Amino acid sequence: MTLLHRLRSVVHWIFHRSKAEQGLNDELQSFLDMSVADKIADGLSPSEARRLARVELGGLEQVKEHVRTERHGARLDEIGRDVRYALRLFFKNRAFTCTVVLTLALGIGANTAIFSLMDALMLRYLPVRNPQELQQVWLQSPGAKEPGGESFSYPIVRALGDQRDIFSGVAGFAGTSFDVGTPGSFNRVPGALVTGGYYSTLGLNPVVGRLLTDDDDRVGAPLSAVISYGYWQREFAGSHQAVGQTIRIKGNVVTIVGVTPRGFVGANVGAVADITMAIAALPQMYPTMAPLLGTGNVWLRVLARVNQGMSTDEATSRLNVMWSRLADSLINPGWPPSERKKIAESVFRLTPGGTGWSYLRERYRNPLYILMSAVSLVLLIACANVATLLLARASARHKEIAVRLAIGASRARVVRQLLIESTMLSLIGAGVGVAFARVLGSILVGLISTDLSSVNFDLTPNWHVLTFSSAAAIVTGILFGMAPAMQMTAVNPLVASKDESRTTAGSRSRLLPSLVVAQVALSLVLLAGAGLFVRTLNNLQSLDPGFRTEGVLLVELEDQRGLIPPTLVEELQRLPGVLSTTVSTHTPFNGWTWSEPVMPAGQPLPERDNAFVVAAGPRFLSTLQSQLVAGREFTDRDRRDGVPVALVNEAYAARYFPNGSGIGEHLSTNIAGYKDFEVVGVVRNAKLAGLRVAAPPTVYVAYYQLKSARATTISVRAAGSLARVSSAIQQTLQPKFPNTPIEVRGLSTQVANTIVRERMMAMLAGGFAVLALTLACVGLYGLLAYTVSRQTKEIGIRMALGAQASRVVASVVTGGTRLVTLGVLVGLPAVWIGSRSIESLLFGVTPLDAVTIAGAILVLLAAAQVAAYLPARRASRVDPLEALRHE
Amino acid sequence: MDKLDIPQGTLDLMILTILVREPMHGYGISQRLEQLSHGHFQVNPGSLFPSLYRLEQDGKLKGEWGASENNRKAKYYKLTASGRKQLEQHRERWDRVAFAITSVLEGA
Repeated sequence: MTLLHRLRSVVHWIFHRSKAEQGLNDELQSFLDMSVADKIADGLSPSEARRLARVELGGLEQVKEHVRTERHGARLDEIGRDVRYALRLFFKNRAFTCTVVLTLALGIGANTAIFSLMDALMLRYLPVRNPQELQQVWLQSPGAKEPGGESFSYPIVRALGDQRDIFSGVAGFAGTSFDVGTPGSFNRVPGALVTGGYYSTLGLNPVVGRLLTDDDDRVGAPLSAVISYGYWQREFAGSHQAVGQTIRIKGNVVTIVGVTPRGFVGANVGAVADITMAIAALPQMYPTMAPLLGTGNVWLRVLARVNQGMSTDEATSRLNVMWSRLADSLINPGWPPSERKKIAESVFRLTPGGTGWSYLRERYRNPLYILMSAVSLVLLIACANVATLLLARASARHKEIAVRLAIGASRARVVRQLLIESTMLSLIGAGVGVAFARVLGSILVGLISTDLSSVNFDLTPNWHVLTFSSAAAIVTGILFGMAPAMQMTAVNPLVASKDESRTTAGSRSRLLPSLVVAQVALSLVLLAGAGLFVRTLNNLQSLDPGFRTEGVLLVELEDQRGLIPPTLVEELQRLPGVLSTTVSTHTPFNGWTWSEPVMPAGQPLPERDNAFVVAAGPRFLSTLQSQLVAGREFTDRDRRDGVPVALVNEAYAARYFPNGSGIGEHLSTNIAGYKDFEVVGVVRNAKLAGLRVAAPPTVYVAYYQLKSARATTISVRAAGSLARVSSAIQQTLQPKFPNTPIEVRGLSTQVANTIVRERMMAMLAGGFAVLALTLACVGLYGLLAYTVSRQTKEIGIRMALGAQASRVVASVVTGGTRLVTLGVLVGLPAVWIGSRSIESLLFGVTPLDAVTIAGAILVLLAAAQVAAYLPARRASRVDPLEALRHE
Repeated sequence: MDKLDIPQGTLDLMILTILVREPMHGYGISQRLEQLSHGHFQVNPGSLFPSLYRLEQDGKLKGEWGASENNRKAKYYKLTASGRKQLEQHRERWDRVAFAITSVLEGA
């Protein structure tokens, strides 16, 4: 029989149900009538004939039910009835329903939130043509197992784009931001710089106007920009006149040539590019950035589309043939030969690139997996909780189910009905959970977003996410529903239908406590994990970085040309509230570093950079409050006309001047045109590139001895309100630089931004652990309350015989403590396994840190005491007379 | 006389066979079955009607309301072309099964 036929009869049944029912009635009635008539004809009395015919028929309703179950769609019908029945039950037990739905909403919502972030970051395809065909291009160093080099120089991307026999399109891109607007009112707009092949490779069509092409990606081409759909709506109200209009970016007039389709915000996942321009426009807009077009800057990510019909393997091998031919001309000649050789010997790799690229992926993949595991544990605990609630309620439904079984329902049928109930509960929970996930998701994005690099994800639930949460709901529904359903139906109808339903509760008393033990074990894992993350964050925050982060403002002038004149620094120094001002090329954790080969005079320079370099002005150490160990710091006299001087940090001094302080020694190098520096001071180690890594050997050179401009940050140490000083700085500087956006931010923010991930992990893991602990305590409370209510009679007798109230309390609390202890014992091996998997994210604490684990156990025990106390108190107030009359 | 249980899976075959000659209503089918089996089989309505409904639903039978011998309203079942085909197939298979069983029993 065809599926179509079957479907038709189902549909027919749904729409003509009452008619079909009527037909069946008539038919059976006529059967009965004929049977009776025959029997009368055989000589039976009419009443006897009717009786016998009825007996032969065997129950009108049973026959009907048998026929109904033969029908296609009969299942559907039964399920529909079960659903209606479940809804009625839910409505009748509103408190129970709300508790269950809320518990599940928290569990499923947390899972959905983490999953939707994973989806947005790692799973979702870019909204472009055939995204699954896109390949990301990598360069893999010789000997490396994984492709590592994902960034390429502009000339290499152009060369890749020229390989028409391999690629039908090659797109190079990098995120940036543009300061749009007129002098005095700049607006920083997130954007992207792309190669000419970007849009054609992605296969996008403009909503209006045109998109950028190779013609725009030529030096000297008119400055053109493509804007995103969102920017078009916000800034131009979606007007078609937007195309052809100009915007000012840093004083340059840029023409808007087109709008990208809705939903596409760039190939950088997590970042929004509202304005996109061709890379070749850079030199014209920012002359200082011209080197970005050369071979010396490796900064573009590459997505490519391989020619139709060509396999990835073939494309890769052709690419490598090309590389062996062209590598020499494409690698920066200024790099050391060993470096050049390593790059030339690297091989190209192609990996699926349809999901775009994001620096966040590398950084948050592991944390997200860990959080996903954590929320799954939370969901398991929630399931156990709901199962406990269902079991506790089972006694109330015992009779109902016994009756169902007694009048002929099969066990499978009743189990199915109970499972439908639990699945419905979890689906409702999932519905609420999805809404909750929206909120949690945006909090999460807010946590990983910093003012330096904002993170944007479209977290509108899509089909991925909805499928995930419904699957989670159905699985959990079956998970928490199955055990109670099996248990509730495993009864002898004869016994259960009698009033004494408690006699059948024997086996239940094992399942309930084991659920609580499981909850405690899972909570312990989460608590210990959260403890480790919180301690990691604490360790990083309380770490002495070698300078004082509080009270320092960092001022940056975009597009600053030339050195910052000392007069300007002195002017800021005179502002009220300012304690000390300095300039430097780098500030701690600003995101980029400068390194050079620097050796004690007389020793050959190594090929590789061996020291970090910071050019710093006078009062640098006092402004950052870095400690001078010996010698002096830079002063106003360290100018171009003076002897080139340098400071070294303790790490450098320890390595290169092991015998002596290093002061008075000379350094041989090639920094800013100087070959020789005299060491005039030694500085305490200060972290530069990250809190987790020890301060590297660092050489400080005098800023005002530099011969050419370098990007500079002015650091201002202030007392009192930083906000007031910040606006005073803005007001002083802006009139002097009308065309320049001025950015003022706190050093403490910059430092805090380096531990965004750790803060997120500590907060989320902590939050989930608290949630887990709460759920586990509710579970324990539920079990004990239930036990106490079942033992009312026993407790009453004991009290009547003279048991003290305190003894009764103690016995209940001890029961609870025993379960928690068991849970802890079960949980410890799980902690051992789980904490190993988070080892790489920890800092200053080992995965099996005894203090943390002991703390987690203590927290659990304390919380369990609270949870056990309430039922215990109720037990102690049992009135013996009342209890004995209870039955 | 003690009635025999109708062997599993053979009720459909017998219903289809009975309906080859002429359309019949449920009661008629049950009577004919009893008669043809010399009283060994008596079909229970709780088995008969589900079978009839299933066969109808699968397009092997077609049910039509009509008047019975003594002018009662009754639902008559008629064999469809597809039902006839199924009957042939099942009949052939049954013949082989019966032959095989008989051979085994007699050969032993």
